[in-house]
Amino acid sequence: MLFRVDPGSPEPIFQQLADQVRRAVARGELTAGTRLPAARELSTSLDINLHTVLRAYQELRDEGVIELRRGRGAVVSRTDDLAALHEAIEHVVRTARRLDVPTATTLALLKEALR
Amino acid sequence: MTTADPRPPVPHRVATTVLTLLVPLVITAVGVALALGWSDELPDPVATHWGTDGADGFMSLTGALAVLVATTVGTSVVVWALLLVGGRDASIRRIGTGTTVGLVTMLVVLVVGSLELQRGLADATAAPTIDSLLGLALGGGLVLGVVAALLVPTDPASTTTAVPPADAERLPLGRGERAAWSTTVWSPAAVAVAAPVVVLQLVLAVALQTWVLVAVAIGLGALLASMLVLRVTVDARGLDARSPLGWPRLRVPLDEVVAAHADTVRPLADFGGWGYRVGRDGRTGFVLRSGDAVVVERTGGRTSVVTVDDARTGAALLNALAERSRVR
Repeated sequence: MLFRVDPGSPEPIFQQLADQVRRAVARGELTAGTRLPAARELSTSLDINLHTVLRAYQELRDEGVIELRRGRGAVVSRTDDLAALHEAIEHVVRTARRLDVPTATTLALLKEALR
Repeated sequence: MTTADPRPPVPHRVATTVLTLLVPLVITAVGVALALGWSDELPDPVATHWGTDGADGFMSLTGALAVLVATTVGTSVVVWALLLVGGRDASIRRIGTGTTVGLVTMLVVLVVGSLELQRGLADATAAPTIDSLLGLALGGGLVLGVVAALLVPTDPASTTTAVPPADAERLPLGRGERAAWSTTVWSPAAVAVAAPVVVLQLVLAVALQTWVLVAVAIGLGALLASMLVLRVTVDARGLDARSPLGWPRLRVPLDEVVAAHADTVRPLADFGGWGYRVGRDGRTGFVLRSGDAVVVERTGGRTSVVTVDDARTGAALLNALAERSRVR
């Protein structure tokens, strides 16, 4: 998969990485059993700190998105079929646009609802 | 009418001539000279073919040596000529040279060795079996072949500072954004063909209690594993494709990338098989399955190819990174 990070972004790099993997799994682009690059390799490729990648991987492991195995690296542990969720999100986006609700407000509402 | 080839000339033609033409010729000449020196002690005709019941094919000494010379010289001349025309990539020259030197060594050892075993015989039908020679022929061929392949010089350094052509698709990248593309690819064909062979070897080894076959099966399995799965990476250093063992490996440094694109590859039709291949059109690289492949045009008129899913993204990132590194 494609990893991209922007060190200039206010969002921490480990967060950017973890989000990309989450999104790819949610979209079905990454399926169970897919092996992610070793943390060392990815940190070299993106010229970022090894611990940044490890932190992203650890977060993903804690959420059950990937498994970390000694010697085998990071393996995606589940295949998500989130078609229904995608549909619902699309509905939220459409409604928010129709009602002219600012993005920040929509996100705040979603965050609150998820709490 | 001829059109000028815009590609630079094939490098290291002298080295190719020495290693792929002269070395096999010398090996053949030494073998032939040895055999001719024994002509007084050899039966006439000499045994040239062995079946399960011993020698079953015979020829005159000059006839046997003529067949050997025709085969070794013919092979080296053909490979040498092919490499002079199409050996732009060091890996092509290595494969061609190593195979030729190895094959010629093996043949010369087998033929001349079998003649040595017949010295002092009055009748060639009494020629002993040549089983004892097989190990020497295979081992000698392997060692000299590998040495010759290692002596092949690498490609001369050649980099480019030109941005990829306008029609080469680029992945849009933010100003300070860093990107890396990493994926794996495996070969269903290799598994389908080779896995049963390895299993059969193991079954045979147990059934026949021939433990050498276990070693063969393990060696075959390791070779298979090394060619079966690849991790393909595109990042600011360029393109890298390598097996979990780290070898074989294909690396294209970013400053050798002229342009990249995605293409559809047919292993049998375009490359005559699976693995690290040299294609009919000179494209070289890992062809593990049919379908999507990243094709990279490189400096020196070389073209590297790696079959991989979503090749379009990989190629577009490579173009974008190449462009960014050259626009300052």
